[in-house]
Amino acid sequence: MTQTSLDQALKKHYARNQRWGFTWAIWVAVLWGAWYVPGTALWFEKPFADIAADDQAMMLGATAVMTWVHAIAVLFFLLLWNTVLGKVKDYGRTLFRFRKISKWYALASLFGGPMAIFGSYMAMGFIGPVFAAITSLFYPVVGAVIARLWYKEKISSRAAIGMVIIIMGGSVIYAPGLFGEVEGGNPNMWLGYLGGLMSAIGWGAEGAVAARAMDVSDPDTGIQCRFTFEVLFWGVIILPLIALFTDLPIADFIVATVTESSAMLWIVLASACHAYSYTAFYKSFSLIGVGRGQAIGNLYAIFALIFIAAFTLQLPEWYFIVGLVFVVAGTFVMFSEPAESVIQLRDQESCA
Amino acid sequence: MKLHKKAYLLVELSKTDNIWDYELINKALKEYSRSGSQWVNMFRVTLDELSAAGLINSTDKKLDDGTHFQTDKVLFKYQLTEFGRTRMRETGLL
Repeated sequence: MTQTSLDQALKKHYARNQRWGFTWAIWVAVLWGAWYVPGTALWFEKPFADIAADDQAMMLGATAVMTWVHAIAVLFFLLLWNTVLGKVKDYGRTLFRFRKISKWYALASLFGGPMAIFGSYMAMGFIGPVFAAITSLFYPVVGAVIARLWYKEKISSRAAIGMVIIIMGGSVIYAPGLFGEVEGGNPNMWLGYLGGLMSAIGWGAEGAVAARAMDVSDPDTGIQCRFTFEVLFWGVIILPLIALFTDLPIADFIVATVTESSAMLWIVLASACHAYSYTAFYKSFSLIGVGRGQAIGNLYAIFALIFIAAFTLQLPEWYFIVGLVFVVAGTFVMFSEPAESVIQLRDQESCA
Repeated sequence: MKLHKKAYLLVELSKTDNIWDYELINKALKEYSRSGSQWVNMFRVTLDELSAAGLINSTDKKLDDGTHFQTDKVLFKYQLTEFGRTRMRETGLL
């Protein structure tokens, strides 16, 4: 055995870890993009299709119900995943340590669920879907900044440049549609801006908080803990409060949703995409870091349009190609980092 | 109740100055009554995650001659870092 062969084997080892990290992150993008098909189709099924577009209160109430039912289905798919992997017992062991460990997943679920998803729906409802999509693209910046300040995650200049190029590419895809949305004198527009901010901060913070919890726990079981808490937040706190303090027929709406087979079919499909997208999301963090994982995950902007075009047979506009070139270039810039850059994701002298 | 697997690896690392990955993984396999390459790989990935996060670092490396995992795979000797010890205290593992 020579030093050279050890060096070569080491290089191969680190390259494999880097490749796995990026592969998981690309799966995030593919499945997140695919999620938009059932996620959008759902709004065209009863009982959601019966809500008047200008009935904002009912729209938000319906969104809360939809998110809760969706989270329960996600939890089922995650249970299936961990059963196959033989990690169900580890899920229980992690969840049980609430005060010191799983509380971080509870916090991650608050950032990712009620803050980011709800914020994104606010941005869609009060300004438009294009604005919501663009603001979400900025979440890796928030994630990377929090990870940097909180536990000193290292972001190389090449990773930062790649991140910027990917965000620019996503913006090119959606920006032309934005002009039609932000015109007009809607007095509630500020709620849309607030929602956009909530989604970027929420998803960015979720990644950083979850990665903190994954220091001492497994990503597969961690994501199941995170969705357990989301189901509880919506089902035990938020929905009962909405039912108690508003006139919205929340209970009737839950029954109408779960008894409508078409709506449930879309929810199950959306949940399968979301469950495994999130699993890949968390797994990528522990191998390549929050900043890189989230930036590559942003490729969902491309996959969402491809899947929607495939199902609606409507081809995207020409600027989609420009955006595509940007995001693919950004991905290559990030992947071209030497594999050694992901051996140690944090500045060890100062992390805490 | 047993610890979850990542925590178990950290606790075992905290009990020793440093330890080879194959020794640690053999202990973990025994603790959780598991066997087979799937579980060995899962534990190896977990050690890679702990190392990337800075909770442990490798103090020595050598090539596997086929005795432990697979010929020409790298074997790592790990130790808990000061940051790892701090994180274990914060999370009630120490």
